[in-house]
Amino acid sequence: MPLIDLPSTRAEAWRWADLGALSAAAALAPIARAGHEPHFLDLPGARLLFVNGVLDEAHSVLDQVSLGHLRGGEHALGGRATGIGWSLRLDADAAADPVQVVHIATGGENHLPAEIVLADNAVAQVVETFVGAGWSNRVTRIELGSAARLGRAVRLIQEGGFTSLRDEAQLGTGASLVSTFLGAGTAGTRIDGAVVVGESGYAEVGGALLTAGEQRQECAVRVRHAEPNGQSHQLWRAVAADTSVASLAAAVEVARHAQKTDGEQSLRGLLLQRTATVNLKPELEIFADDVKCAHGATVGELDGRALFYMQSRGIPRPRAQALLTRAFVADALDRIGNEGVRDAFAADADAWLERTL
Amino acid sequence: MLVIENLHAEIDGKPILKGLSLSVNAGEVHAIMGPNGAGKSTLGYVLGGRPGYEVTDGSVTFAGQDLLELAPHERAAAGLFLGFQYPVEIPGVSNVQFLREALNAQRASREEKALSGAEFLKLAREEARKLDMDAEMLKRPVNVGFSGGEKKRNEMVQMGIVNPKFAILDETDSGLDIDALRIVGDGINRIMRAPEKAVLLITHYQRLLDYVQPDFVHVLADGRITRSGGAELAHQLEREGYAEIAA
Repeated sequence: MPLIDLPSTRAEAWRWADLGALSAAAALAPIARAGHEPHFLDLPGARLLFVNGVLDEAHSVLDQVSLGHLRGGEHALGGRATGIGWSLRLDADAAADPVQVVHIATGGENHLPAEIVLADNAVAQVVETFVGAGWSNRVTRIELGSAARLGRAVRLIQEGGFTSLRDEAQLGTGASLVSTFLGAGTAGTRIDGAVVVGESGYAEVGGALLTAGEQRQECAVRVRHAEPNGQSHQLWRAVAADTSVASLAAAVEVARHAQKTDGEQSLRGLLLQRTATVNLKPELEIFADDVKCAHGATVGELDGRALFYMQSRGIPRPRAQALLTRAFVADALDRIGNEGVRDAFAADADAWLERTL
Repeated sequence: MLVIENLHAEIDGKPILKGLSLSVNAGEVHAIMGPNGAGKSTLGYVLGGRPGYEVTDGSVTFAGQDLLELAPHERAAAGLFLGFQYPVEIPGVSNVQFLREALNAQRASREEKALSGAEFLKLAREEARKLDMDAEMLKRPVNVGFSGGEKKRNEMVQMGIVNPKFAILDETDSGLDIDALRIVGDGINRIMRAPEKAVLLITHYQRLLDYVQPDFVHVLADGRITRSGGAELAHQLEREGYAEIAA
């Protein structure tokens, strides 16, 4: 097995990373391929099925998506994903049907680059699902023209191995990006993001990481306001059971002339057992003087009074815990605009609760 | 229906109930009155099964079952309802969802068919209307942003929906203005005044008893029932204060 050259956890951005899990995931023996049908939602538009990072043409409908050679970039993990990847490019004022991408891993490691490039005023929606086991490594480059809008929802429900994502987004004037992630599988996860918000741009990057057993999931997202009047929200929820570890690191950076920036960070962790760990790191680097940056970071347990109140009305304790936990993650998933997609993500979160509580 | 014998209970090792005995038959309304710190709310919580309230001696039998052996949700399914002095706010869970879950969980444990969303909504709207609560409040998160009076009214709507055999109402009258007090009092009479049901009203003041006539009034002081009587005892307490009578 070739050794993987990985960043050191001594580097701040990688301090909670479970890098050993990457090598272990890459070394996973082949497993049977999972069925893809249940993971495609009932939506019109393109359907891409990648098995170990390779397009399964027989089960894919490319529609406005094309394949081509893409570069992975500079990022330590994302950089490995140079090669053939998928690309969604929309002309000005175009609106595409939702693009669905299902990634199945069947052991070993696979790397895949992608790009989403929307010209001025274009509108798109991308839904990605990761299943199977192995190390799935992705880099996605996002470029939004003036007033372009992208809704992106990613669910990580691999049952083994590791999923690592690297998103790099550049938002033009008045552009809007809403990215929502759900980690509700049993694999390790790292979500890396770097978003640069242009003038009057709007970025939401957030989601929910649900961990159990000895699982480790983390996000490390940095939003940079390069121009004035931008708005960003980073709303993350972590729920950790057993001896698992969930880590949320969200940074906002406001450049010197990015006045009137409105940034919000809300990082909240819920411990289902005291043996679990939630790490939170809200980070603000503000060089402009006329900005509003709200930030909150809390870790706690389920409210015992609410649990008893619900039980006293006849709801069994595990169900009461599930309802309260679901309510805790709901605001992170509510950001998904498409109702069908939102329901599918909520169902995955419910399945996790069902398994865990 | 409910028989409490020599009940001792403590919180964090501190004894609160010190040999409380009380027997409530079907068709009766009992009021428990007493000074602050006497153990009134503790009695409600012990009967409801709240964690942290430890029973160290005595027994509680409810409809022939050992109540203390049952988990809180099993007590509810057996027909016990605890109306809270401070109803809890639950952000992110709507009243409708909460109550439907509660009712259907109770029905499931009694091997009754679950109510559909539409059936439940009809029932909930009807109860809200009877208690003069805006049906829109059913959609809102449980008790979040409700005034004190609205919370108490919501407790009564919940009681109407789950339709219990036995209700323990802890200071249901606190935080209510006169009009709300009448509506809540009427609600208690309508839902709970029946030959097969019973009520334990825990209250500090006599005023709720103007609307809900008790058959028996007990004075709880220092963890024990020190005196019992009919409705006239409540008036006497109001006139003379607890210090005289509880001693």
